[in-house]
Amino acid sequence: MARGAWQAAGNRKDKTMKIYTGTGDRGKTSLFSGERVTKTNDRIEAYGDLDELNSIIGALIASLPVDRVDLIGELQQIQSDIFIIGAWLATTANSPAIDALEEIKDTQINFLEKAIDRLDNQLPNLKNFILPGGHSSAAWAHVARSVCRRTERHAVRVLKESDTDASTPELEKALIYLNRLSDYLFVMARECNRLHGLSDITWKKS
Amino acid sequence: MTTSEKVYPTEIIDHRWLSKKTFEIKLHRPAAFNFKPGQLISLKYKNDDRDYSLASSPDESELRLCIRYVKEGLLSRALGDAVTGTGLTFCGPHGYFTFKPSARVPIWVATGTGIAPFRSMACSGMAAAYLLHGVDTSSELYYAEELQPAAGNYIPCLSQSGQSPTAFNGRVTDYLQKQLPPGNYDFYLCGRREMIRDVTMLVDDQFEGSFIYTETFY
Repeated sequence: MARGAWQAAGNRKDKTMKIYTGTGDRGKTSLFSGERVTKTNDRIEAYGDLDELNSIIGALIASLPVDRVDLIGELQQIQSDIFIIGAWLATTANSPAIDALEEIKDTQINFLEKAIDRLDNQLPNLKNFILPGGHSSAAWAHVARSVCRRTERHAVRVLKESDTDASTPELEKALIYLNRLSDYLFVMARECNRLHGLSDITWKKS
Repeated sequence: MTTSEKVYPTEIIDHRWLSKKTFEIKLHRPAAFNFKPGQLISLKYKNDDRDYSLASSPDESELRLCIRYVKEGLLSRALGDAVTGTGLTFCGPHGYFTFKPSARVPIWVATGTGIAPFRSMACSGMAAAYLLHGVDTSSELYYAEELQPAAGNYIPCLSQSGQSPTAFNGRVTDYLQKQLPPGNYDFYLCGRREMIRDVTMLVDDQFEGSFIYTETFY
């Protein structure tokens, strides 16, 4: 579902169903928790970034060798986790809608940490900064990493501006997840180059 | 990583026409299946599947679906013509269109078979300040008798005017625009996307600060 599970979209499936409702034609949209907000609202910016990140991870997956089912499975798990984080970003404090949300688990963060360690162990040590690029899959991973950082910045804004509320512990976990995911995407970019027999492009002083 | 969803076998145990355009089927409810009022199931019959909101309360022993007969709708037509004993499967429950009590006043708005989740909620002891049911003619007010005592103010809205002295003659949007006092509400909208769009715009213009939860039908 391209609109994302956290959006207040319909669930109907029918050939006569149209994907558009027109409820956002005047620049407002609904949060999962029911509020009508402008599309420049911090929460919308944050989960919009997350949507972009998820799409880019999709492009990264599409650029990987089809037989790397291990990496593809790992990235698809991350895509699913991103939906859960998006739902938290789309739900305001103390909303009863929180009851419907899936918890962000420590195991999801541990999953990333283990993957980072595993990938990093098979990569040569870094002695210099590297330039984003190399194989197209590595380039996608770098785009994903930088969008992940932007998502994180917008999520911080949501967290700092929300009062002491029920969603704060989950948003704090979401921040940890996003911080770890950026690092994962960095090592994934390097792994993509290694998979294709390419070295990282190192930064040189001019 | 994808996980396969549990598929429940079921069968039609009752089938009745609520009006010329709408029918209700009751399905055997598997013992392990539970849901919240307002949720839906993905029903599969032969090779076609479709999502339907449950009209029954979780307290009822069967699952009840309220379906509009659509000639060109494969599943709706097949189910309309199906007989008792027909076997089907379903997955679920799905969806987030559940009642979320708050300090605001709840308003439930349905068009046509969009009444289904509200019947489920009302029969589970939940109530709104107003339940608006928008239909073309009074013959489509199939759950009126059950909903009148259960759901606060039950307001039938008939889009073809001049039909009933006891109903509001006009669309649900007209009722909200003309009759609902200013305030902050929780609007629950279930039905056609045109209604959802029109009510959402009305809420933005006239009831700013209200919350909206939606479930869109075709």
